[in-house]
Amino acid sequence: MGIWDTITDLVEAAAPWSTAEAEAPAEEPKEETSEDSKEEPEEEEAEEEDDEEEIEDPKEKLEEECKNSKQCAPAKHHFDECVERVTNASDDEEGKEDCVEEFFHLAHCASQCAAPKLWSVLK
Amino acid sequence: MLARSGLRSTRILNGARNGATAFTKRSISSNSRASTESPMKLNVTVAASTALAIGSVAWYYHLYGSTAHAMTPAEEGLHPTAYPWVHQQWLKTFDHQTLRRGFQVYREVCAACHSLSRVPYRTLVGTILTVDEAKELAEENEYDTEPNDEGEIEKRPGKLSDYIPAPYKNDEAARAANNGALPPDLSLIVKGRHGGCDYIFSLLTGYPEEPPAGAQVGAGLNFNPYFPGTGIAMARVLYDGLVEYEDETPASASQMAKDVTEFLNWAAEPEMDDRKRMGVKVLTVTAVLFALSVWVKRYKWATLKSRKIVYDPPKGASNNVRS
Ligand code: HEC
Repeated sequence: MGIWDTITDLVEAAAPWSTAEAEAPAEEPKEETSEDSKEEPEEEEAEEEDDEEEIEDPKEKLEEECKNSKQCAPAKHHFDECVERVTNASDDEEGKEDCVEEFFHLAHCASQCAAPKLWSVLK
Repeated sequence: MLARSGLRSTRILNGARNGATAFTKRSISSNSRASTESPMKLNVTVAASTALAIGSVAWYYHLYGSTAHAMTPAEEGLHPTAYPWVHQQWLKTFDHQTLRRGFQVYREVCAACHSLSRVPYRTLVGTILTVDEAKELAEENEYDTEPNDEGEIEKRPGKLSDYIPAPYKNDEAARAANNGALPPDLSLIVKGRHGGCDYIFSLLTGYPEEPPAGAQVGAGLNFNPYFPGTGIAMARVLYDGLVEYEDETPASASQMAKDVTEFLNWAAEPEMDDRKRMGVKVLTVTAVLFALSVWVKRYKWATLKSRKIVYDPPKGASNNVRS
C-alpha cells in the first residue's frame, strides 16, 4: 500500500463510474443454479422450435453485394473472365493458369467494401 | 591556365553538391578572375556534371531500385482487410460480453484441437467468468498431485491456479490426429501472426465455397486465401448457428469468428485494459506536473522578468559619456 493506492482508492470512491467485481452479485447464484439445471432442456427445446429459422451470415451477404457493386466491377470482370478462360482451356492443355490472383483482388475488394458495414451489424 | 580551369571545375562540382550558398560564393569569388574563362565552358561543365549525377541515380535505381518478389501472391497469402476493431482504439477496452462469448466458442469449437496453454483459470476470473463459474470449470478437469508419502502421483480436481488443459498429450499426438498438421497453441496466436486480429478473423471466415478455377489444393488441405500458400490443414470450423450464446446473440459464423478473435486477443494481451488505463494515468499526471512547472517557473522568474534596468547618468557630466 503506497501513497498511490491511497490516491487511487480516493479517486475510485469519488468517481461516478464503477469498478468490475470478480464476485458475482449476491442474488445471482440462485439464478445461476436454476439456470444451470434448466439450461440443457431449454437448449434442446430451443433448437427444435424457434431456432430452426436459419441464421444468415451477414458477412457473406454483404460481400456478395459488394462483389456485384460498381466498386468491384473491374475485379469481378477479370475474375469471371479468368474462370471462363481456365475452365475452357483445362481440357486440352495441362491447365497451367489459375485464377488465384484474380480471386485475391476480388476478395480483397469485397471484404474491404463490406468491413465497416459488417462491423455495424455484428455485436 | 589549364591548372586554373581544373581548379575552377572542381569548385563548380563542389558548388553543385553544396547547393545555392556555394554557388553564390563561387560567383563572388570568381569575380576577380572570371574574365579569363569563357562562360560557355562553365555552362558545359555544369550541364555535364548534372547529367552525370542524374544518370548515376537512374542507373542505381535501375540496378537496385525495385524490390524482387521471390514469391507469387498465392504463396504470400491474401493480405487481410483491416476491420474497425473497437478494442484496438486508444481509449477503448475489451468488450467483456464479447470475451465471454469468444471463450464459449473457444471451449466448444477450437478446444477440440487447439491448446491454450498459457492461460490459467484464475485469469478468467473477473474478466470473463465469475469466481464460482471459473472454479466449477477448473474442477471439471483432473490434474496431477504432488507425490504423496509413498511417492505416488495421484489425481485431483483442478483449481483456479491450474492452466487450461491441452486437447492432446503432446505435439506428436496432435499431429497424428490431424493428418500430420500441428494445430498451434492459441495463447499468443494474435501476437504471433502478421495481421493479428484481422488475420485470424479473415482466416476463420475466409474459406470460399470452392477454390477458384485452376487453383492447386494439396491432398488433405483446404483452400484459404489468407493462409500463406493458400493450402491449410484446418478445414472450415465455424458454421452459422454452431454454438448457442447465452445472451442470445445470433451465432452467425462471422459473429463467432469476431468473438473468438477478440477473446484470443485478450488471451495474448490480458494486460491491455490496465495498460491503457495506466497510459491515461501517466498522461494525466504529466499534464498536472507540466502545469505546475509552468506556474513555478513564472513565479521564480517574476522578479527577473519585471525588473527594469535604468541608466541614470550623473548630472552635468555629459562630456564623459560616449554618445
Ligand atoms: C479439427 C481440428 C481443429 C479445430 C476444431 C480448429 N482448428 Fe485451428 N488448426 C487446426 C490445424 C490442424 C491447424 C494447422 C493448419 C496448418 O498448419 O496447415 C490449425 C491452425 C490454426 C491457426 C493458425 C493458422 C496459421 O496462420 O498458422 C489458427 C489461428 C487457428 N487454427 C484458429 C482456430 C480457431 C480460432 C478455432 C476455433 C474457432 C480453430 N482453429 C479450430 C485444426 C483445428
